[in-house]
Amino acid sequence: MLKIKDLQKNFGNLRALDRVSLEVEGDSIFGLIGPNGSGKTTLFNVVSGFYEKDGGEIYFKEERIDGLTPDRIARKGLCRTFQIAKAPEKLTILENMMLAAKNQVGENPFSALFTRRRTARVEKENLDRSMELLEVLQLVDLKNEYAGDLSGGQKKLLSLGRVFMLNPDMILLDEPTAGVNPTLTMQLMKAIKELQQREHKSVFIIEHSMKVISSICDKVFVLNFGKKMAEGTPAEIQKNEKVLEAYLGGA
Amino acid sequence: MTVINFFIYLLTMIGIYGLLAMSLNFQVGFAGLINFGQVAFFCIGAYTSSLMATKIGIPLPFCFAGGMILSGLFGYLMSIPTKSLKSDYWAIATLATAEVIRLVALNEGWLTGGPFGVMTIPQPFQFLFSRDSYPLFYLILALICVLLIYFVLSLLSDSPFGRDVKAIRDEEELCLSLGKNTRQIKLQAMVVAGMVGGLAGALFAHYIAFISPENFRPIETFLMWAMIIVGGRGNHAGAILGAGIIQLFNVSTRFIGGYVPLSPDSMASLRMLIIGLLIIIFVSYRPEGLIKEKKKVYYPKSRHGE
Repeated sequence: MLKIKDLQKNFGNLRALDRVSLEVEGDSIFGLIGPNGSGKTTLFNVVSGFYEKDGGEIYFKEERIDGLTPDRIARKGLCRTFQIAKAPEKLTILENMMLAAKNQVGENPFSALFTRRRTARVEKENLDRSMELLEVLQLVDLKNEYAGDLSGGQKKLLSLGRVFMLNPDMILLDEPTAGVNPTLTMQLMKAIKELQQREHKSVFIIEHSMKVISSICDKVFVLNFGKKMAEGTPAEIQKNEKVLEAYLGGA
Repeated sequence: MTVINFFIYLLTMIGIYGLLAMSLNFQVGFAGLINFGQVAFFCIGAYTSSLMATKIGIPLPFCFAGGMILSGLFGYLMSIPTKSLKSDYWAIATLATAEVIRLVALNEGWLTGGPFGVMTIPQPFQFLFSRDSYPLFYLILALICVLLIYFVLSLLSDSPFGRDVKAIRDEEELCLSLGKNTRQIKLQAMVVAGMVGGLAGALFAHYIAFISPENFRPIETFLMWAMIIVGGRGNHAGAILGAGIIQLFNVSTRFIGGYVPLSPDSMASLRMLIIGLLIIIFVSYRPEGLIKEKKKVYYPKSRHGE
């Protein structure tokens, strides 16, 4: 699904990504862990087109995507969320959800003015789906609040909601549950897992909690100082001594 | 009679500047595009329409359309650098661009009449009215344009396009991550705004029947900004209200000139000073303007409550 070959990214003299190669298979959940500053978010930024790479190749669905703009990569079915959740502040939660919907009608001035009936029909469908998803995310009571008035954790939930709304083939989640309460975190993880299994999506997730990682991931990559340090099932990773030392603080 | 004429003139100018303020508000209030060269649309619309009428003699409705189209195209050109310039640098570029347009009008005398401007611009349907009743007709024409544009812009800002535009204003990166072609959407917003500004220019030119580069100084852009700062951004009614307030002040103080012991020059400076003060007061104490951006509420009284 997603294949990264010898990916490099430098910030000045700092090697943020040093010849990272990895492959995320389709219909699975892969995890990405590593200490702070190990290059996890940089990897997501390069893959999603927000940063330019300094070397290497990226393939998505057998197609080369490095060098494309972020919006084109997203339209190919690869959607990412941000570590610090972003939400247009003067749009309500419902508008945020509907913003994300794929194949909208009326997104340019011409169709907005001249295909109003079709626009209204599609809007109604998207509105209904948004409401269903907001129920799951427990945001439904806040549906008419401005996204700018939400807490950090609620914005994270909203980011997930938008991703579900967009329904891409592959999702890159950057710490989707940081700042979300533990009960809801587990529910969200269950929701991600269910979505993945029902629709056979690929999910690639940055997460610090080993508990979360081991509960949902099929495979985990470990980054350290911009290099891939290890890969394997969660159980293997938890036994890997190098990882334990670098990441889990030694044992 | 003169009082009535004054009010007709005032309301017509409010209508014309209302269009300009709505156009600017669509860029600034909705799309977050800080345009300090708004007067360029006004200028291009005015010159295009009046030159088409005086030099070629095309029927006036087509001249109006021509002014809108050329101004819309100019909006397209102006949106191109948004790709590579950050919003504040783009804002500076727009200021310079508008001055370039005015200087072209000033110096390309073979086409524009240079500093002498375009004179005896024909007025639409003039033959149907007497000299006394024509201003009233023109006022109605201007108001119809304002209502029409208000209606069209409201449809747009209420549509998925309007939602995209506002989302780009607030969080462009997020929109990219959702697959929105933000450049194209900004471009479309600029074309729409350019056409509205061009319409205002054509209305203005055929109303006062004489235009020169003097009408399109950067200070006009400043007035339009004052309108949306006072009236409120992110909604179309605020732009019209702001245009009403600023024009009422701006136009009426020209006519009380005889009653105050001040030279016309100091009156003009004083006028700008007071508008400047008004802007400072609004920015400090009521930054959202008189009319706030409206929230779009779904299911106002559903079982989920508010």
